[in-house]
Amino acid sequence: MKQFIQHALLLFLVMGAVNSQAALQVVTTTEDLAAIARAIGGAAVDVVSLTPGTRDPHFAEAKPSMIRKVSRAELLILVGADMEIGWLPPLLQSARNGRVQSGNAGYLDLSLTVPLLGKMTGPVSRAMGDVHAKGNPHYWLDPRNGAHMARAIATRLGELDPPGQADYQARLAAFEQTLEQKLKEWQTTLIPLRGQAVIAYHTSFIYLADAFGFSVVDEVEPMPGIAPSAAHLSQLVQRIKSEQIDLLIMEPYYERRSARYLHDQTGIRIAVLPQSAGALPQIETYVDLFDRIVAILSQTGGD
Amino acid sequence: MFNHLHRITPMGILMGACAIFSLPGLAAEDSALLRQQLIELQQQMQQSQQAYQSRLQALEQRLMQLEQDKVMQLAQDKITPAANSTIVRQQTSPSDVPSSGLTSSTANPLRIGLSGLFAAGGSNADNDELEGLQAGGHDPNRNGFTVQNVELSLGATVDPYFDAQTNIIFLIDNEGETEVELEEAFMTTRHLPWGLQVKGGQYFTEFGRQNPQHPHTWAFADQPVVLSRFFGGDGLRSQGARVSWLAPTPWYSELYLGAQNANGETVTSFLAEGAGGDPTDPETIGGHALIDRDGRDQSDLLYSARWLNGFDLSDTLSMNMGFSGLIGPNASGRSTDTTIVGTDVYLKWQPAYVQRGFPFVSWHTEVLQRRYEAGDSEDPTQETLKDWGFFSQALWGFRPGWVAGLRTEFAEADGGVSTDDDPFRDRRKRLSPNLTWYPSEYSKLRLQYNRDWAEHLDGGNADSLFLQMEFSLGSHTAHTF
Repeated sequence: MKQFIQHALLLFLVMGAVNSQAALQVVTTTEDLAAIARAIGGAAVDVVSLTPGTRDPHFAEAKPSMIRKVSRAELLILVGADMEIGWLPPLLQSARNGRVQSGNAGYLDLSLTVPLLGKMTGPVSRAMGDVHAKGNPHYWLDPRNGAHMARAIATRLGELDPPGQADYQARLAAFEQTLEQKLKEWQTTLIPLRGQAVIAYHTSFIYLADAFGFSVVDEVEPMPGIAPSAAHLSQLVQRIKSEQIDLLIMEPYYERRSARYLHDQTGIRIAVLPQSAGALPQIETYVDLFDRIVAILSQTGGD
Repeated sequence: MFNHLHRITPMGILMGACAIFSLPGLAAEDSALLRQQLIELQQQMQQSQQAYQSRLQALEQRLMQLEQDKVMQLAQDKITPAANSTIVRQQTSPSDVPSSGLTSSTANPLRIGLSGLFAAGGSNADNDELEGLQAGGHDPNRNGFTVQNVELSLGATVDPYFDAQTNIIFLIDNEGETEVELEEAFMTTRHLPWGLQVKGGQYFTEFGRQNPQHPHTWAFADQPVVLSRFFGGDGLRSQGARVSWLAPTPWYSELYLGAQNANGETVTSFLAEGAGGDPTDPETIGGHALIDRDGRDQSDLLYSARWLNGFDLSDTLSMNMGFSGLIGPNASGRSTDTTIVGTDVYLKWQPAYVQRGFPFVSWHTEVLQRRYEAGDSEDPTQETLKDWGFFSQALWGFRPGWVAGLRTEFAEADGGVSTDDDPFRDRRKRLSPNLTWYPSEYSKLRLQYNRDWAEHLDGGNADSLFLQMEFSLGSHTAHTF
């Protein structure tokens, strides 16, 4: 028995040694952050996302496999603004990795790098549903914020890996250039959507609306995170009819019954938009994400 | 006053003009002159109308041009640092990139939470029988209402080195008395080297999956029978310290080793009063009298070990598997020990697309075995009591906010005087279907039916129905796996 334990311990230690690689170990909470980190870090970083793009990052659980990833990370990049409040604190406690704990160089909260919309003023209560007093955390859905995020990531990678700094800045410049070029294309494609009133399932598209000049006037959820009631849906039917609202946008993971009901009652068109890289097949990069969103919107949005 | 006058004056003029035009008996040349003047007026009107129209058209054109310009400008929004947006400039200066210093999440240093758990129940067993069937300290155990658990949690990061957590519980017992308990108060290191973590204070022993869980996170209204038998109504918790090691394996693997005091009322099966689990008969177990535990060496401690492994079997299926062991002195003799071993499995499936954590299917099973050395070697009745039991529960979150559950349980004992009429050692089966509705992350309603088969009951079985409700205030609920 004693010998078995000794062997097991030895095995663990050997595996630990093998596992320490040369590339900077980066862990992100979502696939979008991972996509940007890969674009900036290139081969010098090893990036893994804790949640898949198909899931709502707010409702993730601190799974054991995540503990393992965070325990080895040299940089943890998060959405912040309470997006991961349910699972990141217990995860960080279990992972016991000082490098990536809040207050250290390996902890990068990107919500502090972008202008947040929807900050709550006045009294905030849970009677209002899942409101985020610090501001709406879905900011990555504005490509202009993507540039802010990329800059913060490039700066931090340069701090953690000074010899690679020039490379990170070079990749950042290329990333910004691509985004700039693409943003023009996307905005031109979506000109028909400008000024339009749109309904969203959840309060998650205000940044997208801001970037492309349409407005989200109502949500299928009566309050953020609260399931739609029959009364609220019939109010929506009235509103859609009287204001001739023509488009409903929603993430792929929400139930479709409510949207289908609204469609049946009013003929409103429904666009299921990927909210993240990896949310639908073949969306790997941050640019892919908006390519797809714009493609879907231009098909559903225009006549 | 002046405003008033201004409004009246033009009206007066207009009325005067109308009076002049309508004057009768005007000369013919006058009327010809007037006609000419009218024609001139008409022409002037037409001219000015045309002028206005062309000006309006020009304005419209300018507006359209402006709108187009704006669209173009938006489309040209530069996102390079050279852009004219002040936000971009501010955000890109390196000093504004969030420094490694304080972040918004550390601005709220103390997490405060209060949760309340209440139940209403009805059973064909009477209240005395129910206390034997529902032996958990937080179980609904009355025909009527039970305050299961009101828990105040305070937690924070102490400093760069420690986190700390305190859970204080308030209960109202069946006599109506309010009890306050220091359920847990411990500190944990934040980042020791080599994947180590030390925890010290008063805390739930990390044995199995369910024992360290708090009642408000349970998937059922009551605690499993076998845990009530081995660890008593309040779960196994005591004062001590443990070290855990996160092994550098390719999968998640964590080893816990700990030592805690073996006496006190929450260390059932060891030196606690009610070591047999039966609060109504705390001085015996399996017919063996418990000795004055102070007579034992106080350095006798309860030692615990746990090895927990976690895997992602696929993108949609995750698994935890743990092995736990306890060894410590018991109160039936001066050199008698108890050992408890257990294994636990937890599987959870979630499809690729989930809304608010739904749908899901999970399965949680634990098997425990206890060897209780009853009586010292010179005691003629000396023997080893062997008890074991398991519970297995499946949950199905079939639509957002709704979870259906089913739990099966079994427990039995070997050794000791007749176990048939001992509610803590008889052969026992229980089947519990339930349905839970979570209106939000912060509240729940649960309906649970328990079918009990127990040898100690006169009729051999009992049926109970519980309606449970919970609220949670303050800090955000933790989403643990």
